[in-house]
Order: sequence, then structure tokens, then C-alpha cells
Amino acid sequence: MVMGLYESFLYSFLATIAFAVLFQAPKRTLIISGVIGAIGWVVFVYLRQYLEYNSFHANFLATVALALISELSARMFKQPATVFLIPGIIPLVPGLGMYQGMKQIIEKSYDNGVTTLLTAGTDSAAIALGIMVIASIFRVIKISATKNFWTK
Amino acid sequence: MILGQLNRKQTLDIAMALGKVLLKSGAETSRVEDTIERFCAKNHYPDVNVFVTPTVIVLGDEQPDGYSCVCRIRSRSTNLRTVSEINDFLYNLDKWPLDYEGTMDYFNNKLKETPPYNDKLICLASGLASAGFSAMLGGNSHDFIAAFVTGLIAMLVLKLLSGYRPSAFWENALAGATIAIVAIMCCAVSVQCTMDKIIVGAVMPFVPGVAFTNGLRDYMAGDLVSGNSRVAEAILFASSIAVGLAFVLQAWHKWGWDLW
Repeated sequence: MVMGLYESFLYSFLATIAFAVLFQAPKRTLIISGVIGAIGWVVFVYLRQYLEYNSFHANFLATVALALISELSARMFKQPATVFLIPGIIPLVPGLGMYQGMKQIIEKSYDNGVTTLLTAGTDSAAIALGIMVIASIFRVIKISATKNFWTK
Repeated sequence: MILGQLNRKQTLDIAMALGKVLLKSGAETSRVEDTIERFCAKNHYPDVNVFVTPTVIVLGDEQPDGYSCVCRIRSRSTNLRTVSEINDFLYNLDKWPLDYEGTMDYFNNKLKETPPYNDKLICLASGLASAGFSAMLGGNSHDFIAAFVTGLIAMLVLKLLSGYRPSAFWENALAGATIAIVAIMCCAVSVQCTMDKIIVGAVMPFVPGVAFTNGLRDYMAGDLVSGNSRVAEAILFASSIAVGLAFVLQAWHKWGWDLW
């Protein structure tokens, strides 16, 4: 199933804004977190379905893209980056995989269930890794801007 | 003006209130620890130790006769607005207008105040999220509408039953069962609906994807205990939803229309 990128953008924008409301995000950040989530999902769809990357790499690169925008907009809007990141990763996180894996285990198809759960685990790890990479880079930039490493 | 006026006990009191509000709003444990440490350091008490897991905050110092406090957190929800407000508080601490009592009142009111979006809006958002996800994952227009109805009704049932304080397991199992029942009804109403796509969309507001990812982030940041508990929580939630759904679906497959 290959989906158009514009459609993906629209639907993930809607879903991300709805999730931002579920997470009680501040009103003025709703639109921007919608855009961030949509960008993450479009990057993922493009890499996964058009360029046929594997799931780990597609998730990692999509998360890097959306975490970068989240950190930048956090600086711009004077908010913590979490406000943008938590709704933003919503289209990517493998909640569905975890649910399906558990369901397959309950229905006694253990092989499929464990495979699905482990895939969900590696996808989550990719997302967490992407967030950590960008957050660490920004922290290094911030610290090296406040105190000059070379002179003192 | 609060900075530089607090003694040690007052600093720890405010730090605890701050951490409690932050953790109850669903912030990551590393953020809570970082916020408390920064607040204490700005008030010239850099030797305060803090340990936070998703269910407890321990705050104290290394001296045997020092002041220390523990707070047990029983219920958590996600409220990003409060996280953002506390972030503002910390960064604008030198311009903060209230004194010690005022600040304590401010945080205690934060614990009691109702979230910015009311229950109706939350139900609508749940429906919209379900519909968006069912479309993202390849559903047609009938699935879009059916997923909207399903997600809305599932969240409505949860909100109606929240007065009975169900435990997290029952809450999610109930959501799963509601989703399955409504999805079966939608498929009975319209032939063009695909049950899989409706269910896939409608479970999205309840599945613990973010909790699992945050657990892995906690692991990577070195917070092993909170990583453990978050991952365990995510697995518990996923299995409870699956139990609720599978129960109804298997009853349906076994007896079908005989249930009427």
C-alpha cells in the first residue's frame, strides 16, 4: 500500500493535533506540533515506502528530522522541547505494534506475537535514539556557548 | 521576589511541591530531577539530592540530621501546559512576584485545577485522532467515520466511568471491549467498513507507544528504575487493551448473531 505524501501529511496533521489536545498541550503550540508530527510521518512514509529503507533506519531518520524542528521551535516559542516532542512522535511510536503483538500472543500465535513485539521494541529504540542524539547536540551547543571551553 | 529569601526548609518545601506538580503532569523523571536540582542550586543549596521514579519523589541531603521528605505519587496524567508553565517559572525565577506562602498556594492550586480542555473536547479529540490514524494506515472513507465514532464512544465511556476510579488495567480493558463492540456495530451498519482498520485507528488513543518510548529514553539517560517501571507499565497497558478487545472479538466469532 503506497499512500500519497499530501494525504499522509493531512491525516497525520489532524491526528497529531488531536493528540496534542489529549495531552493538554498549550493552545498556541497546537498548530506547530501538528506540523511537526506531520513532517515526521511524511519523512517516515517517504523513506519507508518510496526509498524502501528498513523500519529502524526510517524511524530513526524521521525522528531526527522532527526532533530537530522541535528543538528549534522550542527555542523560538520559549517552551520546553517536550511540549513539541511528545505529540510529534505520536504518528511514529509503535503503540499499535505493541497492541498487535499482545493480541497475537493472547490468540496463541506466539511466533508472530514475539516478532511483532520485538519489532515494536527496536522501532521504539530508534525513536528514543533519534531524540537523544538531537537533544545531546543541542546541549553541547548550549554549554559551549555559555562557557568558552578553549580559554578556560 | 523569591530568590535569595528562602531558608533550607522552605527551599525543600517548594522543590517538593514543584516536583509533585511536574510528575503528576506526566513529565519525564530526568526533567523532574533536573528542575528540582536547578531550583535548589539557584537558591544556594547545591548539595540537595533528589531521586525520582514515576511513583515516588525522594528529596534530602547527605547529612544524618538533615531535612528530607518523601512523596508518593499515585495517579499521573499528561498535561503539557503545566510542564510548560513550570519551565517558565524556573527560567524566570529572578522575576517571580510571589513570596514563599504565595508560591506554595500557587503549586497547591495547580494540583487541584482542572485541565484546560474539558471532557467533551477530549472525547472529540480522541475521535479525531482515531479517524486520522485509520486513514493514515489505509482505511477508506467509511472507516474514517466509523473510527471517529468508535474512538469518541470509547473515550466517552472511560470519562463516564472515571468517577468509579477503575484501576489502569480495567480502564484499558474496558476501552478495548468498547472499541470492539462499537466496531462490530459499525461493520453491521455498513458493508464497506473493514473491522481491522477501524480497530487499528480507534485503539491509538489508548495504546502506550509514548510510554514505551519514554521508558527507553529513561534507560538511555541512565534512569534505570524509572525506565523499568515505564516499560512495565507500557506492556501492562498493551496487554490489558488486547485482553478487552480479544474477549469481545472471540465471543463474536464464536456465537455471532446468536448473542442477540
